[in-house]
Formats: sequence, structure tokens, C-alpha cells
Amino acid sequence: MQALHEESVDLIFGYPGGAALHVYDAVFRQDKIEHILVRHEQGATHAADGYARSTGKPGVVLVTSGPGATNAVTGIATAFMDSIPMVVLSCQVASHLIGTDAFQETDMIGISRPIVKHSFSIENPNEIPRVIKEAFHIATTGRQGPVVIDIPKDMTAPDKKFNYDYPSEVDIRSYKPPVAPSDKQVQRAVDAILASEKPVLYAGGGAISSNASSELIELNKILRAPVTNTLMGLGVYPASDPYFLGMLGMHGTYQANMAMHNADLIIAIGARFDDRITNTPSLFAPNAKIIHLDIDYSSVSKIIEANIALFGEVKNSLNKIISKLNDGSNNHNPEKFIPWLNKIAEWKALHGLNHDLYLDQTDNNMILPQQVVQHVYQETEGNAFVTSDVGQHQMFAAQYYHFDEPRKWINSGSMGTMGFGLPAAMGVKLAHPKEEVVCITGEGSIQMCIQELSTCLQYNLPIKIININNEALGMVKQWQDMNYGGRHSESTYQNSLPNFVELARSFGHEGIKIEKNSDLKEGLRKAFSLKDKLVFVDIYVDPSEHVYPMLVAPNGSLKDIWLGKDKKA
Amino acid sequence: MNKRKILIILENKPGALARVVGLFHQRGYNIASLHVDAVEDVSQYSWLENNLSINLKPNEVSEMTISTTVSDTLLTQILRQINKLIDVLYAEEKI
Repeated sequence: MQALHEESVDLIFGYPGGAALHVYDAVFRQDKIEHILVRHEQGATHAADGYARSTGKPGVVLVTSGPGATNAVTGIATAFMDSIPMVVLSCQVASHLIGTDAFQETDMIGISRPIVKHSFSIENPNEIPRVIKEAFHIATTGRQGPVVIDIPKDMTAPDKKFNYDYPSEVDIRSYKPPVAPSDKQVQRAVDAILASEKPVLYAGGGAISSNASSELIELNKILRAPVTNTLMGLGVYPASDPYFLGMLGMHGTYQANMAMHNADLIIAIGARFDDRITNTPSLFAPNAKIIHLDIDYSSVSKIIEANIALFGEVKNSLNKIISKLNDGSNNHNPEKFIPWLNKIAEWKALHGLNHDLYLDQTDNNMILPQQVVQHVYQETEGNAFVTSDVGQHQMFAAQYYHFDEPRKWINSGSMGTMGFGLPAAMGVKLAHPKEEVVCITGEGSIQMCIQELSTCLQYNLPIKIININNEALGMVKQWQDMNYGGRHSESTYQNSLPNFVELARSFGHEGIKIEKNSDLKEGLRKAFSLKDKLVFVDIYVDPSEHVYPMLVAPNGSLKDIWLGKDKKA
Repeated sequence: MNKRKILIILENKPGALARVVGLFHQRGYNIASLHVDAVEDVSQYSWLENNLSINLKPNEVSEMTISTTVSDTLLTQILRQINKLIDVLYAEEKI
């Protein structure tokens, strides 16, 4: 606990158990670090993850051995896939019992190996301070990620006294992530930028991890080029900026995907050409040169070959590009991009998203899920932290809630973990108690970690849960509609959904049910007016609605786009 | 597609071998043969000591040779993935 305090940890999420009893006794006998008792270890990891994504500081988790450790696995994988800094202390059976199939024994190092950045096993209590120091260093530097520390019970026994010596510095000789690219590479990138006529800045989660939002904005004050963000990058470039194209990829905007497809230069900034972005890699942006800014060597030229690679902290790479553009030797004339920007504006006018659905109160009285997100955006004035789960509601939230700041959009991007939203919202709310925290979810996802409603009462976390209820696993159903002849295999619940309003009340919270479009605005206003209460807003929406645009897959490019049920671009 | 040999120098720590072997499986790469041994005579790696500004002690690191059949592009990717492992000091094609 002392070592955690030295790493400036103020909050840990966990759940006690046999192998963790010594550590929990230490938790009890200190008052520097607050412990949040979750209801399931998956909730602990997601909450720590939400804390990390919203603050930039590592999330810390403490679990017991066996089932405690395995329950944490989904949350560790989620953090790993999205490169979120996290340190997980998983307790273990005593050293002499390891390998004997002891009660609550599981090989956590083995189970977690493919989904951690690194892991440690404690073999001597003297190592604990150094290992914790190294774990935080590894989790928070380079390409960030989760680190597991497996601690056998005897290593934390009170009778094991040792000289506590916390190292002031850390040096791991086999771990030296790149810091900044060479001047030569930066000049090559600048030359390519100056030579381009149809560039796109494509920024992802790495730009957020590197806290490079202000540098990106500064760069584009000089360039005045179009910018798109990945699902993980939303907010790193302000959505309200006129140069912003919206999100790209599978459910990205028409103009963002068309701009990428037709670009002559793509500047990838902390983004990794994920399959949700490229669609078919061999058909991706056929005429574009690629400049790739990334801290992870293995992310560059993995899917799409980079012409110019800038390895290092994205923030440093951007600063170096900005300095070169400002030093007088490289003259950039933003006016040459005007024809390109005009072309993009045409695409937007042709098939851009309709952001005025919230104004429609009249049509039929069914609620569209997109309207819900737009109303939430209006009610929160665009300032809320928004966590989401996974599925249609997640895509609607990404499309229609406009994020002007990084670290406000908290979602499980790569792993796509249902059940993430509510516990992540707890972590965000604990880190930002005065801010509005909204969890946009669906009736499928919310039931995967709904037990955390109890945690929310214990620690008084007045989150607003917006349950976009289409009485089905909407995204699964959409794919079944589009590719499986409308056969809805196991994607509906046959009238077995709980009464969410009563459920929320039984957990000590408030619940509101909204079924009519005409009640939507008033219902949401009421929910957000209950400042001190967690409010579960259960909103029944048109179950037939699909998420569009949607890339044609498999075998499509970024210009092959479904715009509606019978409409292709 | 050619048969390639990869030389890996990694910390001689419990679990380090499993991380390399596991990586091949996770990423769908194939291992044709594998040899690993602790390095007793570290003088042969003085070039590595110079490159990384470190001093090696006997049996402190292990030398691993893996042969695999891959394309050039995939070999680069494999080497980058191996180098990313925290315990790995060096990984390059052995020519």
C-alpha cells in the first residue's frame, strides 16, 4: 500500500478474498488510498479503466486469486486492446501451494499473458517496491497497457518483515520505447505534406494517450486540412471545428470515408489502420501516401505500408512537424487545399448525417435511437463524459454526440466489451465527481454488469444511465437482417426483459420509462434535473432502426457504403 | 516464403521463454525449430553491451534461435512484435 501511495495512487478498485486477506488488512489500516468495493471483478477492471481513460492516470485493481483473477480477465483484455494504463494486483495462493491445485489457485500469469503488456510474479517480499515501480513505469510509458502483478499470499504475510526501500528511479535495460523521430524523418514528412493537394489527418486513440490534442489543433491551424478521428480518437480534435469530418470507418460519416478513399496523403496520428477503418486493406485509399506517427514499431506497416514512419511520442512528433513548418524554410499555403475541402463539403451535403433529428417531435410517436443521443447532447450541452457499451447505441453515440475535448468519450473500441459502460462510468464519476457522467447503453449490454448499480449506491455515484431499449441485440439483429435473410437467431428475448425502472428503484436509485417521442425531451430533462440521484432512463426506441452509414463488407473499400436499408452510395 | 532464422537475446527470467513462444501462437506465426540456452560466455555479446550501454553477467541472459518460414513483410512484423516484449534485449534475423 505504501508503494501504491508513492505512485500517487488515490483510488483502487477491488474485491477481497482468501489470498488477498493480508493485503486487505493493510488497506484497512491506512487512509491515504480509497478502496472501492465493486460487485464483480469485471466491474473493478472496467471502473479502473474508466478512471484511467478519463484522467490519463493508471487505473489500479486489487483482486484475490482464482475466480477473482479470472473474473478480471475481460477487463484486462479490454484495457490491453485499447492501450489503457492499468496495474492489476492479483493475489495468489501461498508459494508452497503453487502447482498443487490448491483452493482458488489459478495460473493468472499464464491466463493473462496474451492480454497484458507485461506481468510480474513476486518471489520475495523485498521485490514488492521495485516491481510496483516497474509495473507503473511499463503501464504508463511507450504504448500504454495493463500490467499484472501476481502476489502469493505468503509474500504479504505480516510476519514477513523487510526493509522497505522504494526506488526513486526506474531503469529497465530491455525496455526503451522511442521518444521522438529523427529530424530527417520529420523533414521527409513535411516535404510530403507540402507536396500534397488532398491530405487527410487521421487521428486515433494514441493521440489521446499522448495528450497531443493541443498539438494536433495547433498543427491544423497551420495546415487547414480535413481531420477525421477514429472511434477511439473522438474528442482529440474538436467535433465542432469546421475542418472536422466526423468519425471514419465501419459506421463513419460518408464524407470522412470518401475523403480517406480519395486522399493523396494520409497522416495517421496514433492510429493503427484497424480492420474497422481500412475495410479491405488491398482496396484502401489507392492513391494515398502514408505518414504514420506512432510510438509502437509493430503498429506501423502491419496492415497498411507506411511511406514515412515517425516513431516516438505522438506529441513530440507533432511538435517537431510544427517547428519545421514554422521555421521559415518550409512555406505552406493552405489555400491550395480549398478545392479539396470544397469537394468534401459536397460529399457532406450529399449524404452527411442528419444532426437535427432532435427537433422532430411530430412524425410518428416512435423514438429513433439517434434522437435520444441528440437530445442527451442538447440536455448536457455537449459537456458530459459519455461512457458506452457495445452495439448500435455505441455507434449512434459516436456519430451524434459531438466531443470537443479528449478523454470525454469512454468506450471499449477494439475489444467491444458489452458490460463496460456502467462500471466505466463509476470510474469516471469517482475521478470527476462534479462533472455530468452519462452511460449510453442498451438493454443487452447493461444486463452484463448491472450488479454495479449496488456499488453506485454505496459510493453515491449519481450517474445518468440512458438505456436505448430496442428489445433486441440490435447490432446482431442488423447483421442478421443484412446478411442472414432476416433470421433473428438468438438476438431477441421473447418478452423476458426486466422492468428496468423497478429494478433501478430496488437498488435504491430512480427510474424513468419513456416510450413516446413527445415525452422524450421532458423525460430526459427530468432525469438530468435529479442531480444527486442515479437515474436509469429506460427509453423504448424503434426496434427496426439500423446504423448507417455502414461499409460494405467483406470485400468492400471505403467508398462502398450502405446509406440506408436499400440505398448504396 | 523462405526459411528464416531469428536470433533473440532475452533476460534469463522465469516466463520469458513462454512469452516468446506464446507470441508466435497468438499472432499465428509458425515455429519450425527452437533452441534456447543461458549465455555463459557473455564476451561474444560485447557488441550488444556497447549498443545498449549495459554490462552482462554470465547466465544473466538467454540466447534463443527460432526458425520459421515467412515472407519478408511478416518477418519484419514478427521481429517488431518480439522486440516489444519487455524481457527481450535484441531480436534480429540471423544471417
